[in-house]
This record gives sequence, C-alpha cells and structure tokens, in this order.
Amino acid sequence: MKNKERSEEELLKVEVAGIRMKNPLILASGVLGSYASSLNRISKNAGAVVSKSIGIDEIEGYKNPTIINYPHGIINAIGLSSPGAKRFYEELKRYKGDAPLIVSIVSTSPEGFAEVVKHFPIASAFELNLSCPHVKNFGLSLGSNPKVVREVVKSVKKVTKKPVFVKLSPNVEDIVTIGKSAERAGADGVVAINTLRGMAIDIYMRKPILSNISGGVSGEGIKPIALKCVWDLYEELNIPIIGAGGITTWKDVIEFLLAGASAVQIGSAFYYSHRYFYSIKESLIAYARWKDENLSEIIGKAHQ
Amino acid sequence: MFTLRVDKVIRHNERYSTIFFEKELKSFPGQFVMLNIFDLEEIPLSLSSPQSVTVKAVGETTRYLIKIKPGERVGIKGPIGNPFSPAKGKVLMIAGGIGVAPLAYLYDFLQKCRVKVKVLYAVRSSDDLVLKERFEKARMRIITEDGSEGEKGNIFDLVYSEDVEEYDKIYICGPEVVMRGIHSYFKELGILNKTEFSLDRYMKCGIGICGSCVIGNGMRVCVEGPVFRGDEIVW
Ligand SMILES: Cc1cc2nc3c(=O)[nH]c(=O)nc-3n(C[C@H](O)[C@H](O)[C@H](O)COP(=O)(O)OP(=O)(O)OC[C@H]3O[C@@H](n4cnc5c(N)ncnc54)[C@H](O)[C@@H]3O)c2cc1C
Ligand SMILES: Cc1cc2nc3c(=O)[nH]c(=O)nc-3n(C[C@H](O)[C@H](O)[C@H](O)COP(=O)(O)O)c2cc1C
Ligand code: FES
Repeated sequence: MKNKERSEEELLKVEVAGIRMKNPLILASGVLGSYASSLNRISKNAGAVVSKSIGIDEIEGYKNPTIINYPHGIINAIGLSSPGAKRFYEELKRYKGDAPLIVSIVSTSPEGFAEVVKHFPIASAFELNLSCPHVKNFGLSLGSNPKVVREVVKSVKKVTKKPVFVKLSPNVEDIVTIGKSAERAGADGVVAINTLRGMAIDIYMRKPILSNISGGVSGEGIKPIALKCVWDLYEELNIPIIGAGGITTWKDVIEFLLAGASAVQIGSAFYYSHRYFYSIKESLIAYARWKDENLSEIIGKAHQ
Repeated sequence: MFTLRVDKVIRHNERYSTIFFEKELKSFPGQFVMLNIFDLEEIPLSLSSPQSVTVKAVGETTRYLIKIKPGERVGIKGPIGNPFSPAKGKVLMIAGGIGVAPLAYLYDFLQKCRVKVKVLYAVRSSDDLVLKERFEKARMRIITEDGSEGEKGNIFDLVYSEDVEEYDKIYICGPEVVMRGIHSYFKELGILNKTEFSLDRYMKCGIGICGSCVIGNGMRVCVEGPVFRGDEIVW
C-alpha cells in the first residue's frame, strides 16, 4: 500500500501487550505525573501516560534540592515522595485523558505490590518500579535480585488481569537476567531503563548538591546505555520492551524502535518543552511517510 | 546550578531582609530563583531586583536566610519562569504581604515604559511594609489589618473601593487565598484579560520536570508561570 493512502493514525499506532496506543510516546513515571490535571494535559499527544510511582503509605521524600540539571541531563533524588495509595486514587479518578493510564507501583514486598495494585481499578496497566536507585528497601533494593523480581510479578499477576510491566535498572550485574526472570514469572513487558546512580558536587562549597548526596541520572547522557540495554533484552526476551532513557529527539525514538523497543518513555526532555510529544509526533509522521512504513513495522529492524 | 556570594544584607526588621548578590542576574521582573542554602533547603524566591531577593522568615531556611552574612555563598538555579509583561498607560499593582517583592522589581522596570502606577499595598501590620520606599513616585494606598499604618482593613477593602476598570493593566501578587478572591472578583467584572497574577505553589525542581507545582489545567507555575494572565488560570 502506498503511504500517502495511510492515515497518520496508522503510521504511528503501536500495540504493547494488548494496549493500543495512538503513537509510541509514553510519559515516563515521576515526570509531571503527580496530578490528574498534568496527566490530562500531556495525554493529548501521548500514546500512554505513566503516573508517579505510588506506594501504600504516604512517603515524604527528601529535602530540596531534589533535582538538578547539568549539561547532559538531570540528577534526581526525589525519594519517591507521594501521598499514599488512597489519596492518589482520589487524584487519579480525575484523569480524563486521551491515552491509556499506566499506574506505577512501589512497595517493599511482593504482597505489598499486590496490595497497592488493588487500589487502582482505573489503570489500563501497571508498571512495577523495581529500579528506583535512591530509596533504601524500595525499587532497586528488590529489583537487583531475580528471585524477588519473580515473586513480585507472581504476586501482582494473581490480583490483576491487566498487563503488568516491570521497570528495570541498569545498575545490576546483568539486566537480561532480571528481564528473563520477570518474563518467566508472567510479566507482559519490561521497561528499560530507570535512572543510573550518580551525583554532583559544588566546587565552591565542596559539598554534594543533592540533599540525599546521590540520586538517579537521566536525560541525554544516558541514552547510549539505555539503547544497549534495550538491544540486549530484545535478543533474549519474547515479551515487548518499552525503551526509556535520554530520549530527546525524534531520531532517538527511531533508534530505540530499531533496537527492539515497541514503544518509548520520555521524561527528562520535558525540561525543554511541555509540547515535546506534539513536536516529536509531527516529526515521526514525516519520517514514516518518507520511509513509506508504519512505525510498528520497524521494531527490532536493526537486529537483522 | 551555580553559586553566588552574598554581597550585602539589608535587615528591614526582625522578620525581613533583602539580600544582595555579588552580581546582577540577567532577568526580568516576575522571574524567580531556586536558592539553596547548603545543609538546609533549596527554596523559590522572587527577584526583588536583578541583584536581590527579599525574604520573610517563615521557616527554617528563611529564618537562616534573613541572618545570612556577606561573603557566604548560596546555590542559585535560575532566573526561572515567565516574567510580567510590560504595560502602557495606567497601571495598578496589588501587593499582599511579601508579594510586594516581584512588584518592586517590576516598578523599576516600568519606569522605562512611561506608565502611571498606583500601588495597593496590604499587610498585617506596619512591620510588614518592607519595600514601600521602592515605589517612590507612585501613588500608594496602604492598608494594615491592625490599623498601625495607612487605612485599617484588608486587601479586599482596598480593591473593592478602587475603580479597577480604569486601568490598562493590573498586576497582582500575594497569598493564594487573596489572589483567588481577587481573581474571582475580576472575573465577575470581565477584566481578567488585562490582569497578571504571580502565583505561589509548592516547588521541588523549579525546572518543569517534577510536576509538583501544576495548577488545575496542568500548567506549571515554575515554567509557564509564575506569572499568568488572569484568564489563563484554572486554580
Ligand atoms: C515563585 C515563588 C516565589 C516566592 N518568592 C518569595 C519571596 O520573594 N520572598 C519570600 O519571602 N518568599 C517567597 N516565596 C515563598 C518561599 O519560597 C517560602 O516562604 C519558603 O520556601 C519557606 O521555606 P522555609 O524553609 O523557611 O519554611 P518551611 O518551614 O519549609 O515552610 C513554610 C511554608 O513555606 C512554604 N514553602 C516551603 N517550601 C516551599 C517550596 N519549596 N516552594 C514553595 N513554597 C514552599 C509552605 O507553604 C510552607 O508551609 C516564593 C514562593 C514561590 C513559589
Ligand atoms: C524527576 C524524576 C523523577 C522520577 N521518578 C520516577 C518514579 O517515581 N518512578 C520510576 O519508575 N521512575 C522515575 N523516574 C525515572 C524515569 O521514569 C525514567 O525512567 C528516566 O528518567 C529515564 O528517562 P529520561 O531520560 O527520558 O528521563 C524519574 C525521573 C526523573 C527525572
Ligand atoms: S517545581 Fe517541578 S515542575 Fe514546577
């Protein structure tokens, strides 16, 4: 079929674990995702949105400075600050967006994850944060152990029929081992990657800038690392991969799709503009028309 | 982020200081900085001039800040945010409490614009009238809740008794409850499109990433604000 006859919709749409998305651009967790008003606004041009990671109880988070920008990205140590499942559900009930809502979950135990999941019947899918690098007993503390990952996924799959994605960290011995254990336990997809551990020091004060001393690095600087993780996972896994990490231009999106991502998440790039999804989407349409291909057809193409 | 040395501190009284940095920040009135006191906290503060912030002590970090010594260094992110837009003709500024800080900077800036400015300045008590001398050539109405200076009453008494329709532009900065009240009054009058409000929301990042400062329509106070045209605001 000649591309001119294909609609924009057709060119951009992708499907991940049964979730239909109008384009492959997903808002990453923790970025502009704490309020329904914000998610509503961003959903207009998004394929899907992920809300800020939520646990059962309120988490205060760290003191400011919690986020700093440096020339190649962002370092954050928010500390998973969030209002707790009950209050956040009240907030998310006001989500009226134009894209599926994926709810990101944190907890300290397999049962805990399942408990939080039960609070969010409105979710189209769940993302299990097993990868936040800067909060003790949460995230990566569990996600670096393949056995624990398996138990968490199994526990959650028992309480929901919705797709369950596992968000992976690059700060592990082998990200593919963790991805495989998620797949075997029944995960419907993986998200790679969360932030990498990092820090910054002010040379005049001779002190770390973040109140938590270290945090997670995101943004442009981590893109090659994220891309390689997606590549490796694609070689070994059969479930879909959602790529994330440093995606800033439409070319980055194409790179991730070629490496094997079925969709991508974008967070730090919102530093530049909240119209990010709109402008990237327009460029992706132009690319797909030029190549005379639907985006869904290029997934993993760099592996052949 | 970078650091700046504190050059000079004017201690207005027990609860207020204006802190001058070693150099001017390339900025516009209405913009703010995220100011970090190492080992305490990073907080948003409006510029009260290209080179200063004016601080009211309300908690740990601001209490430290009003007593800061020249020579100490503070972390600065910024200047950040969408500034006030310039005006022509007759201008009204409505300041509630420490909301006067960005308006003082705006007042200096508008001197280049050939405007006639009137200021409504409302505070609890005469102690809180920290920057009134900055509006030297403007007509000013002051009101205090305890009647210790100017008229006695609150900010709404001033606003309701002013013929607001005659102004070309109205700038407002003060506590959120006050701005909400004024906003709904101006909405009734149908004049929101000539008003600009500088909003105050809890901020973490100050760079448009975290989403802690969004208002009802998803706009971010730290990037698309803090200054919004009245008709852009959904509380
Ligand atoms: C855009 C903007 C401009 C501001 N400009 C000025 C100014 O020019 N002068 C001035 O004195 N104050 C200003 N403020 C308010 C100032 O940021 C708070 O007073 C300060 O953060 C209090 O910190 P603290 O540690 O002393 O007190 P805390 O004990 O930490 O808090 C006291 C109160 O201050 C508010 N607050 C605390 N942290 C924050 C935060 N990160 N963001 C927003 N509010 C917070 C809360 O309402 C809190 O209840 C501004 C706030 C914003 C959002
Ligand atoms: C300020 C900030 C907060 C974040 N919070 C979370 C979070 O709560 N849960 C999570 O799984 N990832 C969180 N992340 C990680 C992002 O979702 C994303 O995986 C990472 O930033 C890489 O993508 P990017 O380079 O496009 O930002 C956060 C990132 C940032 C910058
Ligand atoms: S303070 Fe983080 S988005 Fe405004």
